[in-house]
Amino acid sequence: MKATISDSLEESKYKKVTDLNPEEEIAPGSALCAGCGGLEGMRLAMKVLGENTLTCNAAGCFTLISVYPFTPLKGSWLYTTMSGPVPAAQGVRDALDIRMQKHGLPKAEDLQVIVVAGDGSTNDMGLSPTSAAIHRNLDFIYFCYDNEAYGNTGFQHSGASPLGSYTMTSPNTPEHPAGSEQTKKDLFGIWMAHNPPYLATVSPREPIDLSNKFKKAKGMKGPRLFICLSPCPTGWGFDPKDTHLIAKLAVDTGIFPIKEFVDGKVIHTKRPRKRLPVEKYLERQKRFQHLFAPKRRDDIIAQIQSNVDAYWEQYDE
Amino acid sequence: MELTRNKQIMLTGNKAAAWGARLAGVDYVPAFPITPQTEIVETLAQWFADGHMHGKYTNMDSEHSMFMAAGAAAASGVRVFTASSSQGILYGLEALHTIAGWRVPLVLVNVSRALATPITLEPDHNDVLSLRDTGIIQLHAETAQEVLDYILMAYRIAEDPEVCLPVLVNLDGFYLSFTREPVVLPDEAEVREFLPLFKPSQPVFQASEPMARASAVFGGGNYSYFKIQHHLAAQNVVNVYQKITQEFGERFGRFYDAVERYRLDDAEYVFVMSNSFATKGKAAVQHLRKNGIKAGLLKLSLLRPFPSQIIADALAHRPKVAVIDQNLAPGMGGILYPEILKAVYRREDRPQHLLSVIGGLGGRDIQEGDFISILQRLDEAPGDDPLFLFDEKDLKQFDQLRQIAGFPREARIP
Amino acid sequence: MLRIRLHGRGGQGIKTASQILGTAAHLAGYQAQDFPLYGAERRGAPIAAYARFSKNIVLERGPIAQPDIVLIGDETLLSDPMAAVTQGTDASTLIFINSRHTSHDLKQHYQLESLPVQLDISELCQKYIQKPMILSTALAAVGARLMGRIDLHHLLQAIREELGQGRLGPEKIAANLKLAEEVFQKAPSFDLEFSESDAGFSASRLVTLERRPPVDSAPLIFATGNMALRKTGNWRTHRPVINYEECNGCAICYARCPEGDIRMDTNDKPVIDYDHCKGCLICATECPKHAIEILREVESWN
Ligand SMILES: Cc1ncc(C[n+]2csc(CCOP(=O)(O)OP(=O)(O)O)c2C)c(N)n1
Ligand code: SF4
Ligand code: SF4
Ligand code: SF4
Ligand SMILES: [Mg+2]
Repeated sequence: MKATISDSLEESKYKKVTDLNPEEEIAPGSALCAGCGGLEGMRLAMKVLGENTLTCNAAGCFTLISVYPFTPLKGSWLYTTMSGPVPAAQGVRDALDIRMQKHGLPKAEDLQVIVVAGDGSTNDMGLSPTSAAIHRNLDFIYFCYDNEAYGNTGFQHSGASPLGSYTMTSPNTPEHPAGSEQTKKDLFGIWMAHNPPYLATVSPREPIDLSNKFKKAKGMKGPRLFICLSPCPTGWGFDPKDTHLIAKLAVDTGIFPIKEFVDGKVIHTKRPRKRLPVEKYLERQKRFQHLFAPKRRDDIIAQIQSNVDAYWEQYDE
Repeated sequence: MELTRNKQIMLTGNKAAAWGARLAGVDYVPAFPITPQTEIVETLAQWFADGHMHGKYTNMDSEHSMFMAAGAAAASGVRVFTASSSQGILYGLEALHTIAGWRVPLVLVNVSRALATPITLEPDHNDVLSLRDTGIIQLHAETAQEVLDYILMAYRIAEDPEVCLPVLVNLDGFYLSFTREPVVLPDEAEVREFLPLFKPSQPVFQASEPMARASAVFGGGNYSYFKIQHHLAAQNVVNVYQKITQEFGERFGRFYDAVERYRLDDAEYVFVMSNSFATKGKAAVQHLRKNGIKAGLLKLSLLRPFPSQIIADALAHRPKVAVIDQNLAPGMGGILYPEILKAVYRREDRPQHLLSVIGGLGGRDIQEGDFISILQRLDEAPGDDPLFLFDEKDLKQFDQLRQIAGFPREARIP
Repeated sequence: MLRIRLHGRGGQGIKTASQILGTAAHLAGYQAQDFPLYGAERRGAPIAAYARFSKNIVLERGPIAQPDIVLIGDETLLSDPMAAVTQGTDASTLIFINSRHTSHDLKQHYQLESLPVQLDISELCQKYIQKPMILSTALAAVGARLMGRIDLHHLLQAIREELGQGRLGPEKIAANLKLAEEVFQKAPSFDLEFSESDAGFSASRLVTLERRPPVDSAPLIFATGNMALRKTGNWRTHRPVINYEECNGCAICYARCPEGDIRMDTNDKPVIDYDHCKGCLICATECPKHAIEILREVESWN
């Protein structure tokens, strides 16, 4: 059964940045890179989700959010393994339910269980445990920060690495001019096929859209899944100050559609009016520089463009 | 089924394991099936569905997921039981190391089955011994009764405020998992007195107690601290175990020790064995004794922590000792042999001869004749090379299969 | 043995600098070893790398506690006790600082035991490779020169080898070679003694750990939110400074700072937490009123 969104919730929507919860749920001081886009996404999400939370984490950059003896979170944290955060969330959820039902734990002691995992964990070894958990209708929120590679280990190819991107394990060479020759997995589509009660993509550049989606999800039960585009200055090769610019270009070029899936429908919540050419996005990142120099690879750029065009054609009004 | 006071009924080793979980008042069972463990999880699923057990049974998607869920639930304050075997243990190995370091109490059962490759079904102990360095406590059972009793005691050990570690109870696939024998089912109320319902001795996840668990630790010194503490806690279980088995014995009349000394007192020949095949060893001892040979058997029950001192005491002044490993570390030999060597090394009263025997691999039976061969080898003042229990019959049978499989190949090439 | 310790921040090419040094010394006929120490830290955080050279086999590994030479690529690290750039140094240690300040000013300001060697290699990096804080080539060139044991042509060959393995095109490598030449000419040279360590070892004071209760034996943190005790303000090479005259209080900078280092005060004006601001400069970039200025951190003590 799926929760429906009440009208009153509509009313209390975030409209401007000053509506955001002024409390920071993640204290500063972590070891993540300056300008990390994923951290901005998680920060905004946690502002909505609050402190009665337990975050199960997969091996990845965000494991460094809590390094002994420090934790930036007001809520709880459990580091697991690269493919283990979702089953751990299952264990915690089940345990809290049992304690409330069988042992009289007061409802006020309940926690919102959250999974924070990178795209590599999510698309690769964590995919099957997550599929199973959605199938079991596990009541949890999944926050996948998508920096399109294995960032923590130094930026190697993951199932989310896009076509034409250089990673340490998909280098571009004369024989392999594209770098990554595979297209990014359609995680949204994969998850959507499980028909979860709520599924959305978000961008740190769109705090209002992001906050409203988390707010909506917070009022629901069952698996609620988020993919957050996470511009990564270190791995993608751009100046940290440009994190939001890159995030914006990802949306404006149509490369990263901002959408949600609810009640069986996909809705684009931030639809680019007129899509910019993809190269506007690509050219600003070192991981795509081989598409522009020493020789322009129009063929590969055109392929990336046509993939984006094909995506949006499905949703032409 | 109604529980009557200390009733004896016919149970398989697997059913005894399930009864152990039920009598322990387990709250939570994350599960995944594998032969020969399946009967345990099927039984528990049924009992939860029937309302004989309360809490939750969750079908997981793999053993890795299952152990993660088990550990996380234990960190969240419920009594957890789970079970696996063989490939499942290997698949979950990462998770098992991980949750052992979390220092959370839970009980898991391993139904031993040999490891691929070749894939097979019958038991040896390479699966459970692949966990020997996890810091998980290990109790190895010979009988269905031991399976049940160990599980009850395992919860007491795991949840002891000084311990807080997963405890594994091992039983052999087929030879014990599927073998029915009479088991005393203790009275539930009496069990509850021995093992009250779970009260976590350390903080668990809930809104009023925010905490970070298992955060990354950098710096070798800091890492060492946690590892050494894990070691000290595991080591201490030798004492905790003795205290708990004593209490169990007084309450239920069945006394256990870290090892069982079977006719050891005047034994000139000792077989060191574990698990269900120890029964065969005892039979051999009886037979040999009838023929005037002073044989005895040392059964290892508490495998982790390794009770070195107790073992060295038990083997003191025994002249000839054969360590029968039902496992093989290729390129090294038996896994327990060097551990026994370590236990006795410093002792003046250590055995004169220590023989390494490898047998029972993949469920290969260990027969009377094998024990005689072991005696003979012991009399020859053995060296370090292991004696393999593999006989002419085995070879003949294998060679037949080999021919059917198309060997030797030259014979088939026209 | 000659032991060199290099300090900088993630992303400044400190590891590559140590590798260029290692290769150059190797080409020059020495036994060499180089080694980066990665912490959990990401780009911007202090990191160190090490290089050892010897006429004989190098029987040491790991971090260098007592360096002969310290190369500090990023001056801001000197005021960061956690970076510990002067640890294990004494009056005989040769300390190099990439700075615009004079040696005397540096010695006084940072209370160093001896006069450091100073050169503004960032300026030269800007001139040749247009990246003032990509220090791999320049810092290696300083190190090679200070040692007084590595010829220019070995240095250049090492640069070609090390940078050639990356994704740098031939023009960029050529620019790096020019940069190296100028740094090499400008930096002073010393003829450092190769000291063979024969300091006596004394026994470690090992302790026997007592068993502690389980809560005290697993990585558990109860002081939630305590991460703020870690001051990441020292990551900054540039400081965002709000010009309140221009600021209209729109709170965009507050919304966009990934660290949550900006809060809106009671007058709806943003306030930056400099103890933690990592200096990504997102706020300055995103401010619609261009009301956030950017200052270079090390200039602030002039
Ligand atoms: C089983 C296992 N294999 C490999 C690793 C090494 N590892 C740690 S993090 C990581 C990359 C994770 O990538 P992603 O999920 O995208 O997160 P990111 O590092 O990009 O934040 C890898 C491969 C691991 N921790 N566990
Ligand atoms: S590598 Fe990328 S994703 Fe990882 S912490 Fe740095 S900026 Fe964030
Ligand atoms: S973004 Fe600029 S104008 Fe807006 S509050 Fe910040 S400093 Fe002021
Ligand atoms: S520079 Fe600005 S956006 Fe970046 S950490 Fe500092 S205050 Fe935040
Ligand atoms: Mg990633």
